[in-house]
Amino acid sequence: MAPVIEVRGVHRVYESAAGYVHALKNVSLTVEHGEFLCIMGPSGSGKSTLMNMLGCLDTPTSGTYLLEGVDVSTLNDDELAELRAMRLGFVFQSFNLLPRATVMRNVMLPLIYSDCPVSEREARAVKALQAVSLPVEYYDHRSNELSGGQMQRVAIARALVNDPAVILADEPTGNLDSATGEMVLKTFRRLCDEGKTIVLITHDPDVANVADRTVHIRDGKLLTDEQERALIAADPTTRSNT
Amino acid sequence: MRVRDLVYETATALDSNRGRSLLTILGIVIGIAAVIAMTALIGGVKQSLVGELGLNQARLVQLYAWPGRTVTLDDLEALEELMPEYECLTASSFWSFEVKNETKKFDASVMGVLPSYQKVSGLKMAQGTFITDENEDKGDLVVVLDQNSVKQLYGDPNEEVVGKTVMINNGSYTIKGVTEATSALMASGGTVYVPYSTCATRLSGYWGVDDMMGLAREGANMETIADKTRDTLIDYFNISDDNAEDAVYVYTMQSVIDELNSTMASFELLMTAVASISLLVGGIGIMNMMLTNVTERIREIGLRKALGARSSDITMQFLLESICLCLVGGIIGILVGYFGSFALTGLAGGVFDVGGEGNTIVPAIDMKSVVMATGISVGIGVLFGYYPARRASKLDPVESLHYQ
Repeated sequence: MAPVIEVRGVHRVYESAAGYVHALKNVSLTVEHGEFLCIMGPSGSGKSTLMNMLGCLDTPTSGTYLLEGVDVSTLNDDELAELRAMRLGFVFQSFNLLPRATVMRNVMLPLIYSDCPVSEREARAVKALQAVSLPVEYYDHRSNELSGGQMQRVAIARALVNDPAVILADEPTGNLDSATGEMVLKTFRRLCDEGKTIVLITHDPDVANVADRTVHIRDGKLLTDEQERALIAADPTTRSNT
Repeated sequence: MRVRDLVYETATALDSNRGRSLLTILGIVIGIAAVIAMTALIGGVKQSLVGELGLNQARLVQLYAWPGRTVTLDDLEALEELMPEYECLTASSFWSFEVKNETKKFDASVMGVLPSYQKVSGLKMAQGTFITDENEDKGDLVVVLDQNSVKQLYGDPNEEVVGKTVMINNGSYTIKGVTEATSALMASGGTVYVPYSTCATRLSGYWGVDDMMGLAREGANMETIADKTRDTLIDYFNISDDNAEDAVYVYTMQSVIDELNSTMASFELLMTAVASISLLVGGIGIMNMMLTNVTERIREIGLRKALGARSSDITMQFLLESICLCLVGGIIGILVGYFGSFALTGLAGGVFDVGGEGNTIVPAIDMKSVVMATGISVGIGVLFGYYPARRASKLDPVESLHYQ
């Protein structure tokens, strides 16, 4: 079976007012089924660009990206949209829920863009909400009536609902206090233990602790093990649990 | 994305912006209301005219010639034989006499008419019957009043007066019937009808014909008949070609109707201009609101794209929103226009000089104009919604998601 994610020698170059920006330089990365990978790096390191690329929101300038063995560079916009609808789940730092819609409606949102039959939608949403342990009484609340931790769990349920190949989480605890952040991370850990593949990006070493494996990114490059050890030696707050 | 989902999203989006949406569609409401009020009023005026004139009126021809001698009933008979395209011809003479009863009197137009006059002119009876062949043959002292005359003499146009007597020029006449008030397009005021022979022997002492009218056979081409009638009159009365213009008079009601139609057309043009400007401004309002909508919901658009929405899904969603806005505006406009046209009937009655006493214009709205108004609304929605919708669909998901 092909790995869920296989990135080979990817470059991403932006054109900006200040000239060309090399956001990603020769990045190679493999994520296996059921793996919980953490991508760590300070802001501006290119981790968001990498995340957008993994999420098929952005395409590499050169190099290849295989998602479940499919080369995404060969797909057009509509096919990429379909891939996002069927095979990817997103969790954002700022939750990005529709504020006036109910929890159920928010969780069902990705399904309207997939081929999921209308009759199955509610059942799948309920299953996803159960997986993140959101109490039933909140299902018909509007999402802006929830606490931050509850909102992020709804967002995770939304990412889960289409049973994606991988869940991509971009600083999912960035807007939460440490206690609720802890709970959200536990949810991710449990989902991974149940067989989900998760890629999480963060700049917080504590967050990285829950992952199976952490890779560091600096200035658009993934660090080698050797560089990583040097980094840890230089700055003891940066740890790795590989 | 399924139709059901699109509809749900649209309804939710519009519902959350109810106040702003209603204000925005005002332009559409006014434009569509103008279109509907216009068509309803014009339809009403037309119906009211047809009702007043009677269906025969389109077949009516007024004809007369001044050959330099008195035109008589013998000429009428001869002409009737010459022109078989007429179902019948009738003649009348006009006089003016004082008409009075026990208490009141007034100066009336007195018309000596043949019994066929009623059929040709399309006069409708409110009470009793019209002058009969027997009345004409015997020269009976009978009279038919119109409702205006009844009002002059008895105060109430609907007073039961058949069988009563009135005095005309010292003669006592029995009232046989009452005709409905004549249309404003024809002579109004008090008119009374007496048999032609009675008029000639008792009142005027003159047997000449003052006016002739003909009722063309059903389905005939009025213009052809008018031309042929003119030629026949010139031939029959031996009128020289130089005089023909002045000495022969042929007039069809068709030309009255044509004239009316052209008045309507200019009125229609004016209303169309008002409606178009209003719809244009309304459409720009819709576009403006949709652009604001797109800007306000950039993050939502980014999210939807990240969750798998294709560009076409986003286009459809925003396009449907603007179409629904315009459609709601159109439906409100149709209702406002329809009920508004009732309020405007008085005004239109004045403009077109119809709908006088006892007649009111009832706005007539046909399915065609409702369908047209709905179509225009949808068209405006598509036209002015397309640009904002395309703009939304072209947004970059990554940038939109982080838009502040």
